[in-house]
Amino acid sequence: MTAATGVYHTTYQGDLALRNTRSEYVRLGLAALVLVVIPFVASPFWLTVANQIGIAAIGAIGLNILVGYTGQISLGQGGFLAVGAYTSGLLVANFGLPFPLAMLAAVLVTAAVGTFFGLPALRLKGLYLAIATLASQFVIIWVVRNWDAVTGGTGALVVPPSELFGVRFRGDFTWYWLIVGFGVLATLAATNLFRSGLGRTFIAIRDHDIAAEVVGVDPLRYKLLSFAVSSGFVGLAGALTAHYTMIVTWERFTLDVSILYLAMIIVGGLGSVSGSIYGAIFMIVLPAAIQQMGTALRSVVPAFSRELPAIQTAVFGLVIILFLVFEPRGIARIWQRIKDYVRLWPFRY
Amino acid sequence: MAIPLLTLRKEDIMSRTRTLIVVAGLVLLTAACGGAEGDNGDAAGGGDGDGGGGDPIVLGGIFDLTGPTGDVGTPYAEGVRDFISQLNEDGGIDGRQINLMSQDYQYDVALAEQLYSQYQGARAVAILGWGTADTEALRGRVSADELPYFSGSLSEELADPQETPYNFLVGTTYSDQMRIALKYINEQTGGDANIAVFHHDSPFGESPVDDGRQYVEDQGFGFEYSAYPMPGDATDYTALLSRAQGATHIIVQNVASPAAQLAQDIANQGADAQMVCLNWCTDEEFVELAGDTAEGVLGVTPWAPASIDTEGVQEVVEASGNDDVGGHYLQGWYYAELMTTAIAKLVEAGEDVTGPNLKSALEETEPFDTGGVSPPIDFSADDHKGMTVAPIFEVTDGTWNVIEEGVEP
Amino acid sequence: MDQFVQLTVTGLANGAILALAALGFALIYKATGVINFAQGEFMLVGAYVIFAAMVTYSLHWTVAVAIALVVAILLGVGVERLILRPLVGQPIISVIMVTIGLALFLRSAVQIIFGTQPQRFPEFIPRGTVNILGATVPQNRLWGIGLAAVALGAFTLFFQHSRDGVAMRAVADDQQAALTVGISVRRVFAMSWALAGVTAVIGGMLVANLIGVSGGIVSFGLLVFPVVILGGLDSIPGAMLGGAIIGLLITYTGAYLGGGLQSVIPYVILVFILMVKPYGLFGQVRIERV
Repeated sequence: MTAATGVYHTTYQGDLALRNTRSEYVRLGLAALVLVVIPFVASPFWLTVANQIGIAAIGAIGLNILVGYTGQISLGQGGFLAVGAYTSGLLVANFGLPFPLAMLAAVLVTAAVGTFFGLPALRLKGLYLAIATLASQFVIIWVVRNWDAVTGGTGALVVPPSELFGVRFRGDFTWYWLIVGFGVLATLAATNLFRSGLGRTFIAIRDHDIAAEVVGVDPLRYKLLSFAVSSGFVGLAGALTAHYTMIVTWERFTLDVSILYLAMIIVGGLGSVSGSIYGAIFMIVLPAAIQQMGTALRSVVPAFSRELPAIQTAVFGLVIILFLVFEPRGIARIWQRIKDYVRLWPFRY
Repeated sequence: MAIPLLTLRKEDIMSRTRTLIVVAGLVLLTAACGGAEGDNGDAAGGGDGDGGGGDPIVLGGIFDLTGPTGDVGTPYAEGVRDFISQLNEDGGIDGRQINLMSQDYQYDVALAEQLYSQYQGARAVAILGWGTADTEALRGRVSADELPYFSGSLSEELADPQETPYNFLVGTTYSDQMRIALKYINEQTGGDANIAVFHHDSPFGESPVDDGRQYVEDQGFGFEYSAYPMPGDATDYTALLSRAQGATHIIVQNVASPAAQLAQDIANQGADAQMVCLNWCTDEEFVELAGDTAEGVLGVTPWAPASIDTEGVQEVVEASGNDDVGGHYLQGWYYAELMTTAIAKLVEAGEDVTGPNLKSALEETEPFDTGGVSPPIDFSADDHKGMTVAPIFEVTDGTWNVIEEGVEP
Repeated sequence: MDQFVQLTVTGLANGAILALAALGFALIYKATGVINFAQGEFMLVGAYVIFAAMVTYSLHWTVAVAIALVVAILLGVGVERLILRPLVGQPIISVIMVTIGLALFLRSAVQIIFGTQPQRFPEFIPRGTVNILGATVPQNRLWGIGLAAVALGAFTLFFQHSRDGVAMRAVADDQQAALTVGISVRRVFAMSWALAGVTAVIGGMLVANLIGVSGGIVSFGLLVFPVVILGGLDSIPGAMLGGAIIGLLITYTGAYLGGGLQSVIPYVILVFILMVKPYGLFGQVRIERV
């Protein structure tokens, strides 16, 4: 029950509920409403952006599980996305597997690959772990580029359109629902993960892994498990990219992409599922908005659209710096502060 | 204790004011978002691509300005843009302006694909594309959408109208250029040569490699033939040159900057190999970057560097008001001119500017003359190779000069 | 044999520049604990400033280098002050990301101001070749090795014998203890970033001389990590050794194995080394107490 002095739980069910106060449910309802309305009102350009955000959010949630909740550093995100995308794409293109099965396979394969590349985390920390994961990024891309027989090497892998029981999944509108569906599932899964013992174990490892070991957490098992779970999410995101864009090329999975995802979770908020989503929205809308601005300003300031990619990258870098300097806990924290302000007004705390 | 009914408790006021603020904020937010979406929604769109009246004609441009081939992609893009704006200044096509939608895609295939979707949605009548990888990846959609597609890529994969009916190659294919180079080398050396092909590490680079090998076999040349991909992030090619030791001729299928670095490394190593550039490094950028190590390098290209002073160059210099035109600028200029000439033909004949009509117009046009900048461009219904011959050039005294005209593969 | 000599010289030349970059990186890491992903971009800025000064403003190369050094020092101190000071105490991933953000910003700023067309760097290192053991070796590579060695030697003297150098070593060893003996830790932080900028300018200059002025200079920045792991963060001789090993490794791999392996091999070997020695070959083992 909610009172002016706080939230009290009087039943076990109350304790386990996803939301506690009426206003939280209202906000959730509004968010759901917005999600449902978007594909009908958005222009084709923004619908594409929305789909990209959905996929990125899934990947960002995965990365946040590893980095935000378990405290491991990973620069290998791009490589894992590639594994997911190529696995799923190849299974459909070369073996004609129905795409839900291919995606499931992609999730499992990526989780396995992630576990393998997570082995260094058992011995390394900080700078050294960062470099080891950087190595995994380069190794995976090198394999993709040179394993011509399987991945088509430096060319593009063209994935046939997805079909299930004769229903064609083509076009932004159809994919929107699919992506949102997976996104909701992923969010629920992640949120529940951190309400369970496994999630709390991850957090314990982040806070102090040696102390966690002392209270009975096996760091070997749980660090690897964290890599596996995180990579599973990322593999799903990769597989969705493959089927949504129908083209898989190695250029989409470079170190820059790893950095983009890290930026998403940092700007959004480490250790927060909703933060991952906010970060994904922000980091993808930003370059898209700049692009639109460039098109609009073309006649007035032609230099803007000529230098567009450089400006997008510059703003990207600047945004990361500004967020980290002024609000290191990200958008999730800013939103929390807004909610608190409204809830406690006119008091300050 | 009676509580006066009309007394409002402080908590009630606070709670009600809060709700009011929140609701007001939400309403404003929705209004702003709705407005913004409405505005932004149309920014990417263009006018109608076809139809009558004074509607603008939409062309889609996929350019690499800052990516790995940006050194040659930028002048090309400038050539296209300058021609279109000059054409628009002169009144466009039958009073209709040309709307060139373009963006830098940095050689990223997926971004190219996104741009293609955008241009298609904006009802573009034709696309001026660029890279081999993305053009080949898009070919299925291009054929299905019946959208005429010029590409900077001259890959032989795109030349057969049976397979890619809407792709047009405005130049001699990479494979033909390779064959011309090999034929010339055979003439010069009497059949005794060791060929090393140094190529860009991508489908663009690999495009002529196998065809070259096949040609050597078919013609019975006694050459050794091996291929070496040039890694994109390499800062020098000393290591690669060691692997290619003993090569007498190094054929380079890459753009100007890596080729210039290679030329310097060859000179530094004192390697005794003749360098032969194919079209994307036979240009002024190469000579400028390589400095005196460019001396004596041979080149095969259908699009002559601007140092070869021809009528075609003069025309472009006059029309663009730009003194400093380079080979790739000319290429872009003439690509745009060819496409718009075909469109103009359709408009004058009173036909709708649709994909299939434009395709026929391009195939039926007489050989397009570029005033000496390139061999005449001629398409037909069975052959989308714009040209099959190319001159051979050599760098002497810091500029490219023709040493043999119109060589056939 | 002459092929081997050529490869060795190229490898050592690249390695010498890597050692300089690694030195700059290590300076910052040892003193402040910050992992600087922007080292490559500092080199880029240094190279472009010299280029602009010499080509656009026709200044003599000594003046150009001086200007670049000033810019680099200002940049380093500015970054430390404005960006890293507020991030004290944040998790390491945040600090990594902020330097990545800085790297992206610098890279694009350079691109916007100077464009992406590669340019030739004005020569003040003589071209031409020299004969060593029967192999023709380009002079500029030898000069590169020499100049880098001189710079590294100068730094070694600085750290051994000058007051500030010793102060920096003290802070790197134990910040609290350094504070108690009166060393201004803040000043040392600023100085370490400034010196990193200096090494970046010298390194950038040498790289630009070899491969011209273009965005490609940045790729030297990422290779810093394997060098630092191999050579350790604690000694300049270690950085030199690490640089030489990585430089040679890349060149020999490219020559004898090919296939683009040269980009991957340093990292793979690195991971193997790290699994055996988690703090690098020469790194200090950190003992954690609960």
